[in-house]
Amino acid sequence: MSGPAVLVDGLAAGYGAEPVLEHVSFEARAGQSVCVLGPNGGGKTTLFRVLLGELEPTAGRVELSGRPAYMAQTERTRLDFPVTALDVALMGTLAAGHWWLPPRRPERDAAAAALERVGLADVAGVRFGELSGGQRQRALLARALVQDAPVLLLDEPLSGVDPASATLIAGVFEELRSRGHALLVASHDVESARSFDLVLCLNRHQVAFGPPGETLNRAVLQATYGHELIVLDESAGTRAVTVQHHEHGH
Amino acid sequence: MPSPLDLADLPFLREALLELVLLAITGGVLGAWIVLRRLAFFSHVAGSATFPGLVAADASGVSPTIAGIAVALGYAGGVGRAGSARDHGEATALLLVAALATGVILASDVFESGAVVDRLLFGTLLGLDTADLVLSAVVAALAAAAALALGRTWSAVGFDPDGAHALGLPAGRADGLLLVLVAVAAVAAIPAVGALLVTAIYVLPAAAARMLTASIRGLVACALGVALAEGVLGLYLAYWLDVPAGPPVAVLGALVCLGVAAVTGGWAAATGRSAA
Repeated sequence: MSGPAVLVDGLAAGYGAEPVLEHVSFEARAGQSVCVLGPNGGGKTTLFRVLLGELEPTAGRVELSGRPAYMAQTERTRLDFPVTALDVALMGTLAAGHWWLPPRRPERDAAAAALERVGLADVAGVRFGELSGGQRQRALLARALVQDAPVLLLDEPLSGVDPASATLIAGVFEELRSRGHALLVASHDVESARSFDLVLCLNRHQVAFGPPGETLNRAVLQATYGHELIVLDESAGTRAVTVQHHEHGH
Repeated sequence: MPSPLDLADLPFLREALLELVLLAITGGVLGAWIVLRRLAFFSHVAGSATFPGLVAADASGVSPTIAGIAVALGYAGGVGRAGSARDHGEATALLLVAALATGVILASDVFESGAVVDRLLFGTLLGLDTADLVLSAVVAALAAAAALALGRTWSAVGFDPDGAHALGLPAGRADGLLLVLVAVAAVAAIPAVGALLVTAIYVLPAAAARMLTASIRGLVACALGVALAEGVLGLYLAYWLDVPAGPPVAVLGALVCLGVAAVTGGWAAATGRSAA
């Protein structure tokens, strides 16, 4: 078996003297998917910023098998910016490093193919701001796909999307896993975490890491979410939802 | 009513026409990014911030161009280090007021060169020299080259700063260069349109074009066309009315913007911001 695509060992990170995330150690191999669960301010975004190289860890080490692709939340994008879905997908080709050159035919073909994979081929020329919420998420996913990165970091990719888009995005995730890409997906959705290979629970520190069957129990979820957790059913595994304000935190 | 052909026939008007054409090229290329990256206020202040330096340089025999560029670069560097002109509106406004007031005091009470104030604030058709034209040509060439090389990066950063950083783009350096270019372009425009009206040539044409186009390429082309038309027509009006070139160009720019906004339903509707 090959080495880990993502290795995090004893990580601590923060924006000042006080760490906002510490004692994080986990690894994901090629073809594995990891759901990163946690409340707002729990450290999901901080973890992604460290993995992206934007934030230096204050302790521990991070190793990745290559530059990760990142899918931001659509709320972080400017909807009034005059770019089409194809333009957004083409931005993914900039990761190859030739940012000073105009896009060439192979890059245009790769962007068009990525849009095809996410079901947006017929709206390639539509302005990003005019797409539906689910279509915007898919356009950002296409930008990440174009990079063909070994590791994909996806920040709440299913947040606010329509069921059809959610199904399509989940299908693309499955395809990426089968092709050997490692996926780290930040999410608030406890139930959807069950479909991942591994779950990482964060609440300013690592609460738990492991297969969903071992981690998604009442004790771990309460340590992760505290009073934000509402347990629905414990008869067949802990079914729970979280109640929280949707804001961009740590 | 003078003949429009005078613009080409009379040497001083020919130079002014060439100057405005060069500024229009910069206004079209760079103006598109000024509007897209929301740097309109920055560009306005970049011109005005140079005012006291220009007054002092004019009175001291120092090259106003060099003094203006030095001040503008200092301003751009300060904003770049602070993060964003948009996020420091109060400090920028303070700088604007302080620069204008200091310039007026220097001109009227220290150097007693009050006549210079009008020329620096509103531009002049007379007295444009080769150095002014060379600076404008260099700035136009640099703006075009930078837009070609960095346009994709500026676009990616403007659309999604987080995502652009994750792509490994030199976002900080590209943004810094954009600020420097805008600041230097503001200095280049001062002889023709004045420190107070640089936005007339760099912001208004692009702002009007922004409401008429739905792509970056279209925006640049449209802004270039509008800037050229407003520059030439503004110059003709300035010659006809015997006023500095800046005010007619600015009034034309404002009228075109308002007209386009009335026709298209305004900035929000034209740029799809309501979709957000």
